[in-house]
Amino acid sequence: MRIRAAAAAALASASVLSVGWLVGAPAVESLRSTLTTTLSSSASAEATTTTASGLGTSSGSGTSSAATTTPETTAPAAEAPAATEVTGTFDGSAVQTRFGPMQVSVTIDNGTITEVTPLQLTNDDQKSVMISNRAAPILRDEVLSAQSASVANVSGATYTTQGYLQSLQAALDAAQF
Amino acid sequence: MRHSSSVVSGGYAGHPAITVESMGTVISIRIGAAAGNAGFPHDEALRAAARQAVADVFRGWNDRFSLYREGSELSRVNRGELRLTQAGSELRDCYALALAWRDRTDGVFTPHRADGAIDLSGIVKSLAIAHAGEALYGLGLRDWSLNAGGDILVAGDQTPGLDWAAAIVDPLDRSARLASVPLRAPLRAVATSGSAERGEHIWTTVDGALSPFRQVTVFGRDIVTADVLATAIIAGGRPALHRSTETFPIEVLAVLRDGSLLATPGLRADSA
Repeated sequence: MRIRAAAAAALASASVLSVGWLVGAPAVESLRSTLTTTLSSSASAEATTTTASGLGTSSGSGTSSAATTTPETTAPAAEAPAATEVTGTFDGSAVQTRFGPMQVSVTIDNGTITEVTPLQLTNDDQKSVMISNRAAPILRDEVLSAQSASVANVSGATYTTQGYLQSLQAALDAAQF
Repeated sequence: MRHSSSVVSGGYAGHPAITVESMGTVISIRIGAAAGNAGFPHDEALRAAARQAVADVFRGWNDRFSLYREGSELSRVNRGELRLTQAGSELRDCYALALAWRDRTDGVFTPHRADGAIDLSGIVKSLAIAHAGEALYGLGLRDWSLNAGGDILVAGDQTPGLDWAAAIVDPLDRSARLASVPLRAPLRAVATSGSAERGEHIWTTVDGALSPFRQVTVFGRDIVTADVLATAIIAGGRPALHRSTETFPIEVLAVLRDGSLLATPGLRADSA
């Protein structure tokens, strides 16, 4: 409910798209349906504006987003001829989040958002990270396994002093790395 | 990997780890062979100093916070002999930190026992690890690893250019490893919670059900965050897992009750 309200209130901002993405898939779905409705209702005006500003190309990568365009064009809707619905790919501007800069792209087909794609998400070290850091099922042989020769420490559930004696750690501690 | 295995074994003869007993477990200290550790690893006086520094830090925290010690400051607070407001700033700061983590984890992590007593054991060990690391810095050591009962914090390199790495124990076969992960900056701390070693020491989820996880390992930027979140995810189940990975810059490897695994993207082999 909170997410839907936020989506409606700040529809114009690409940053909200980003936040919606962060919050999770349901939020994005919610945003998507809200955006789609709005875009359809103001599609005629939008078509005019996007054509005028040259952003309406199908493979466009303009700097302003569809979402930003929407509110500007809601008012003069009456003067637009109801021709084609907006189609194209629009990049939102990068916004700062506590996860680092984030940017999304929306693909719109005849006034309907068909895809929301994360374009940019970096952490403090400028290394790309996944938008969603969700833990997902993984097979044992798919887990990261560095060269065992360099491993001096073992992490496991807390062992007692007694448990230590039988632990892998005790064996490694005796080794002269 | 930045280096081949030949570099790892390349002519460096190290020492066994330095070990200290405290808080009911064993702390393993290793000093890296980097150039920054002047005189190490052949300086026995420095090895002894490192051991003493770590032992002193752990004893200090244990004396103040252990509930196994009747005379500890926290035991006195819990018996009502000492008001919280009269307790030392270390205890109050520690309690405040634990309460902050309670809020960050929606109450899943808590410094309060069922009987109402304040129990800071959930963060005391990791705080001691962090402070022990600072003590090693104070000795001029820049490359070291500390492992206190399976919770690990590292600094610098193991050997010049080679990251410290941590193996994650397999809870189904404690002589086997699930993964071996380089502890690269910024994720230099790792903590594991589970039910295998001390019985079901984190019994259930917040709603009273058995935890879906047998073991949870969290890689974080600091040892307190890693330790608290590992505990919170065991206790909070999948909602706590997903909330933690969405909120904090961590990697998580979780072992479900049936032995199957969940991992964040950074722990996949192809992400290295």
